[in-house]
Amino acid sequence: MIGGRGFLVLEPGLLTTVQDLGRHGWGSFGVPVAGALDEEALRLANRLVGNAESAAALELTFTGPVLRASGDLDLAVAGGAFGPAPGKVVRVADGEIVALAAAPGATRAIAAFGGGIDVPLVLGSRSTCLSARFGGFQGRRLLRGDFLAVFPASAPPPAEAEASLSQPGDGVVVLRAFPGSDENEFDAIARAAFWRTPWKILTESNRIGLRLAGPSLGLVETAERASEGTTRGTVQVTADGHPIVLLAERPTTGGYPKIAVVAAGDLDLLARISPGRNVRFERISVTEARKLADAREARFRVSRRP
Amino acid sequence: MKEAGEYAWLLAFAGEEMEANEAARNAAAAIRTAGLRGLVDVVPAARTVLVLGSPELDPSRLEAFEAVPRRDVLAPPPRRHEIRMTPDGADLDEIASRSGLSPDAFLESFVQLEFTVGFLGFSPGFAYLYGLPKGFHLPRRGTPRSAVPAGSVALAGPYVGIYPASTPGGWNLLGRTSRRLFDLRADAPFLFAPGDRVRFSP
Repeated sequence: MIGGRGFLVLEPGLLTTVQDLGRHGWGSFGVPVAGALDEEALRLANRLVGNAESAAALELTFTGPVLRASGDLDLAVAGGAFGPAPGKVVRVADGEIVALAAAPGATRAIAAFGGGIDVPLVLGSRSTCLSARFGGFQGRRLLRGDFLAVFPASAPPPAEAEASLSQPGDGVVVLRAFPGSDENEFDAIARAAFWRTPWKILTESNRIGLRLAGPSLGLVETAERASEGTTRGTVQVTADGHPIVLLAERPTTGGYPKIAVVAAGDLDLLARISPGRNVRFERISVTEARKLADAREARFRVSRRP
Repeated sequence: MKEAGEYAWLLAFAGEEMEANEAARNAAAAIRTAGLRGLVDVVPAARTVLVLGSPELDPSRLEAFEAVPRRDVLAPPPRRHEIRMTPDGADLDEIASRSGLSPDAFLESFVQLEFTVGFLGFSPGFAYLYGLPKGFHLPRRGTPRSAVPAGSVALAGPYVGIYPASTPGGWNLLGRTSRRLFDLRADAPFLFAPGDRVRFSP
């Protein structure tokens, strides 16, 4: 074992970053929350290797990394089909090389390591904030030659260590959403178009937001709007009339009108689909969205029992 | 009060933006100190406060903070900052001429002004400062710059802002400061907090 327990990055993959459940509580200083796009995958992958759900792990995007273990590591991938055994715990022995390559159609996944990735806590989180270049591993995506330390495992992987997450099927992916605080600023035609259109996910999408192509929703004055705090899943409409779904690394404030808010559980699903796919918004009430969120938490609580 | 997420609420304040912002800042401070269960974050902005919670947060407790306009009764005296600025911004001449002044006359007026940190956003440590007279309100630039130098003091609409890091930006550049607005190595990583008072000096 060279250089302590951890792994060496032999190939970094397209966009591999260290993420946890985000940097909460610093919004009034302009600090983005960041964190895993697929929170459910992070929690599940961590649980599979015996970690706390909020432990830091790798977020893989499109092409996964190739890593060489230093010390024996338990590894679990959740969210998308990357690597030799997604949804299961894999023991990677000291010196062994593991390729976390994406299966066809896989977009994004979380790779968790028993013990959790050992990078400094910055403002209470180990997440990478790419836009402001801090947190995670040196504030950036992983590069070839990086060595990431892994904490000693606090618990062995649980016995029933296997899990799968719902995957988007073929065709249009339905995202449940409730009306946003500015919905009334859009005329009836724009509102109808928003809920009816199959929106295409553009390749310009990133960890800040998912850009959608479709008909222009016209629009209302945006130039001199006052900034408001933003939330994960908010669908705002830019000056050219196109929607953006705000994701983990959104700025803390924004001035575009908000037409809808995507249910938290469906944001996890959104992390598992690629640009080029189509999504449609299905209107639900905020009460229904809250029930979905509570059911998602309850699922975690049930499966957490020994 | 509007729903901004499953467990997120947006409180709004009416009136002129600077007054609405003061009400928002006071409400945010009051919410933080109210001992509410399940509170995750409180984000004041131009005329709103975003309250982020967990399922334990009782939204009926929030309504009172929106209904009652709060004055600075309990607030400690504001922190004051003096920021030295080198007036070498690429847009200084244009800012001055659009305000009907020579660059020197504009700067002479500018350093007399006292600003208030209304809120932070856009990037870590980026503060929106109120206190610019109407005659100095300028629109954003038509085409944003792909990289504004770190420390740039800039104007847009009713705001003065300072870019903590080099980022793209569409504001009008007045000058530069060497002060760090966001420094994770410092004991206090953020120079400004909402409610702080700021003056610029040559």
